[in-house]
Amino acid sequence: MIKNYFKIAFRNISRNLGYTFLNVFGLTLGVAACLAIFLIVLNELGYDSHNSKADRTYRVTLHALDYNANVSMGIIPTMRTYFPQLEHATQVFYQKDVNIKIGENRFAEKNLLMSDSELDKLFDYQWLAGNHNTALSDPNSVVLTESLAKKYFPHNNAMGQLINFGDKNAKVTGVIKDVPANTSLPVGMILSLNTYQDQFKRMAAHFWNIAGGSYAYIVIPQNYSIHTLEKQMPDYIKKTWGKDVGADVVMPLQPLKDVHFDQRYINNIITPTSKDTYYALIGVALLIIITACINFINLATARAIKRAKEVGVRKVLGASRPQLINQFMGEITVMVLISVLLGVGICALFLSQANAWMSIDISPDQILQPEVLSWIAAITIIVILCAGLYPAFVQSAFQPVDSFKNNSGVTSGGLTLRKGLVVMQFTISQMLIVGTLIVASQMDFFRNQDLGFNKDAVISVNMPMPEKREVFQQELTSLPGVKECSMSSGAPSYNDSWSPFSAAALGFPKNNVTEIKFIDEKYTDMFGLTMLAGQKITRKAESDTLHKVVVNETLMHDLAIQDPQKLINQRINVSGDMATVIGVVKDFQSESKHKKRRACVLEYVPRGFFNASIRLQAKNMPATIAAIGKQWHQLFPDNIFKYEFIYEHIAAMYTQEQKVYTAFQLFAGIAILIGCLGLYGLIAFAASQRTKEVGIRKVLGAPLHSIVGLFTREFALLIVIAFLIAAPLGYFIMHKWLQNFAYHISIGPSIFFVAIASSLVIAAFTTAHQTLKAALANPVKSLRSE
Amino acid sequence: MIKITELQKYYRTEEVETIALNKLSIEVKEGEFVAIMGPSGCGKSTLLNILGLLDDPDGGSYLFNNIEVADFNERKRADLRKHNIGFVFQSFNLIDELTVFENVELPLIYTGVPSSERVGRVEKVLDKMQIMHRRNHYPQQLSGGQQQRVAVARAVVNNPKLILADEPTGNLDSSNGNEVMELLTDLNEQGTTIIMVTHSEHDARYSHRIIRLLDGQTVMENIMI
Repeated sequence: MIKNYFKIAFRNISRNLGYTFLNVFGLTLGVAACLAIFLIVLNELGYDSHNSKADRTYRVTLHALDYNANVSMGIIPTMRTYFPQLEHATQVFYQKDVNIKIGENRFAEKNLLMSDSELDKLFDYQWLAGNHNTALSDPNSVVLTESLAKKYFPHNNAMGQLINFGDKNAKVTGVIKDVPANTSLPVGMILSLNTYQDQFKRMAAHFWNIAGGSYAYIVIPQNYSIHTLEKQMPDYIKKTWGKDVGADVVMPLQPLKDVHFDQRYINNIITPTSKDTYYALIGVALLIIITACINFINLATARAIKRAKEVGVRKVLGASRPQLINQFMGEITVMVLISVLLGVGICALFLSQANAWMSIDISPDQILQPEVLSWIAAITIIVILCAGLYPAFVQSAFQPVDSFKNNSGVTSGGLTLRKGLVVMQFTISQMLIVGTLIVASQMDFFRNQDLGFNKDAVISVNMPMPEKREVFQQELTSLPGVKECSMSSGAPSYNDSWSPFSAAALGFPKNNVTEIKFIDEKYTDMFGLTMLAGQKITRKAESDTLHKVVVNETLMHDLAIQDPQKLINQRINVSGDMATVIGVVKDFQSESKHKKRRACVLEYVPRGFFNASIRLQAKNMPATIAAIGKQWHQLFPDNIFKYEFIYEHIAAMYTQEQKVYTAFQLFAGIAILIGCLGLYGLIAFAASQRTKEVGIRKVLGAPLHSIVGLFTREFALLIVIAFLIAAPLGYFIMHKWLQNFAYHISIGPSIFFVAIASSLVIAAFTTAHQTLKAALANPVKSLRSE
Repeated sequence: MIKITELQKYYRTEEVETIALNKLSIEVKEGEFVAIMGPSGCGKSTLLNILGLLDDPDGGSYLFNNIEVADFNERKRADLRKHNIGFVFQSFNLIDELTVFENVELPLIYTGVPSSERVGRVEKVLDKMQIMHRRNHYPQQLSGGQQQRVAVARAVVNNPKLILADEPTGNLDSSNGNEVMELLTDLNEQGTTIIMVTHSEHDARYSHRIIRLLDGQTVMENIMI
């Protein structure tokens, strides 16, 4: 019997290729999209889970004025003594960029870790060479990842080779496999921590000497409660670092698996993402699969009319209802299986493309993981049941007498359902369109609007030696392609220096936190910062030891002052030194728009000018950059010339949102395409069902547009109904999403107008071919065929 | 074999109620060949559908082999139908997706005949209907006469006691029509009871008895000699 079901299923499929194509292609796209989303979500939610002790690993962090992922280098050595029960503990010093030299070759690399052998006990590195217990024991030892080892020593064994780090030469003592991309602690190479023992020891002596890049990790024993440790932390802080420190700070123990999702922290290596983002993606996957299932149900129930006779005959010949349900389920199963296989194939093929679009790293092999395979099996069964059960029950319920006589009884109920399902598909499409448009507007707002400074055509170059800045600046300004140049600790959107500030005289004796920027006299004009009161930062002599600062609006508001003039010449305490406020500047965006803007202090401190911001002429930028590079090599022959456009840096703050945006665009497109396939199929059936009606209308003199209107009017109404559901739903969901950001766009009516207009246009294009075909058909033919 | 008493059937729409069978009483004995005639809308097809357990009566009694079947549920009706009744339709009602062999095999599948036995039985009946050479063709590759022979083969493959034929020659030319009538006569001579709805006086002459209906009631019965 089962053989018979499959035989008939295959014949039906091959005889109705158009119908099969619409169904299979739609579901194939749906499965491919869902599988891609599943892999992305699995990858993102699985951050750091590949480490076998991940559940017991915690990052020791600092909560004082802020949540800071960086802690003093003294934390781990003291914790090891204070908490002997810890299974492992290690200090990591992370450096994002590093310049190295091997022989005569220079390389600019990323992700240098400095740590000890304990690191390997926390993170399950796979050793290809070297002893994991001793590789990082001696000073001047370096462990490379496999890809770097191959890059540096393609023909030789990397072990024992020397790598120059500027002031030190380190010997390669180990090679590890590349670390999975979904780690919160990316690794390029690991240098033994004791290579810089003296410096680190000095830094470790103070609690508040918190170096950017210093992270502490611990592993608690199995069956040991983290709460026990958390309760002991205040005592540890007081006893080790003093009562004063103990009164001001808390040291949260952050689970390693939460690091990628906890957005409260500053100084993360990888920008954390809210888990909601991934739940939203799962929601999109669900909507896509629902859309594909709706196609199945719609097309199958529409086609049921054509198959009513067959059902009648089978029933007359003795088929029972369960037998007919099995037969229809068999057909659906075959189609779903074909779709799933094709979908998995398409997903595997396009995964590399998706990786590039979304800056992720997922290999097609991951499809073969047991959990992915079981997910594929589950989705197959769910789709078979969702898409198959209803049509199977409807079709098997036909009474032979009705099905032989006419089909009217068969269609009416199904038609209402089909309309309902089409409304659901359009609701989904329009919600996704609204979502995509809102994410697009927010992305534009992030990067281009309300920044408070002019970012256009500016590159940022970090200098190794601030003392050469004047020469460098002179050389740069003499280049014809350079418009202007300013020296500072960083352009407005760069920030890595934070200090306490207070103003006892103004009634604020308690410390608050402020960003500090060291800027030259050209900075304010070059970036177009707006002064609200007082003067700009000006050049001053090295001998002038008076601190004169410009503060931003937020700092002014922190001091409960509304009129900027009132802050001029007031004295505030910044980093322990008294300074006079000489000006107030309008807020500019120095961090991402996820968080509220914070206080900022600007001061002229030439020893802090490690950065050159260079505005280029619009013409021939590559040539200008090459010329700047040439100047650089003359001044800093030992350093690699690296630059970054400020807009790139700003965009990098929103990489996670960019991923969401790309995902929305891609998957909304797929959902709409699947919906269109279904709509096309439905219109085709509607047209074939109404051939006689169209024929009669034409004989009676109906013009072309009235026939076209006959079909389009109905679908336009469905789109409008769908819009009435989609608009408030989309508004509600996206309004909630926007609350993730301190600064966001407001959702205007134009977005909804675009959504409904584009739905109407898409539907019109989808249905145009079939409606025109029906309207242009020769009525004589259509009436004869009836 | 069949005894219907005061059988009633109404068709209702929202506003109109049409009486299709009006307290109709008929008896058909085993081995009879009965033709039912009458103008369009007289209730012929309704009667055939009820006799074939494809439709419910709204009143009256229907005894099939002395068992009251008027109140059978769908499952019971399907069970009785597949073991006892074969159908031949005017428009053949073959399944386009199945070959001649598979169409004829279908009733055997639904009655649970093992596959090894099915092949022999289908071949035997195809042979008898002289359509064996077309066993692997699809319905649309056959002439009307051939299609109706396949339909008859399908109706008899389960050795039903009763064959219900609804205008079996209505879509055929006279020579093919005669062939089909000969086939039905042969089956009747071998013991199968046949009830046939027809408009054709010519075809009706093949039967033993003609029942003439008008407005859902018997108006005349002719015994053929």
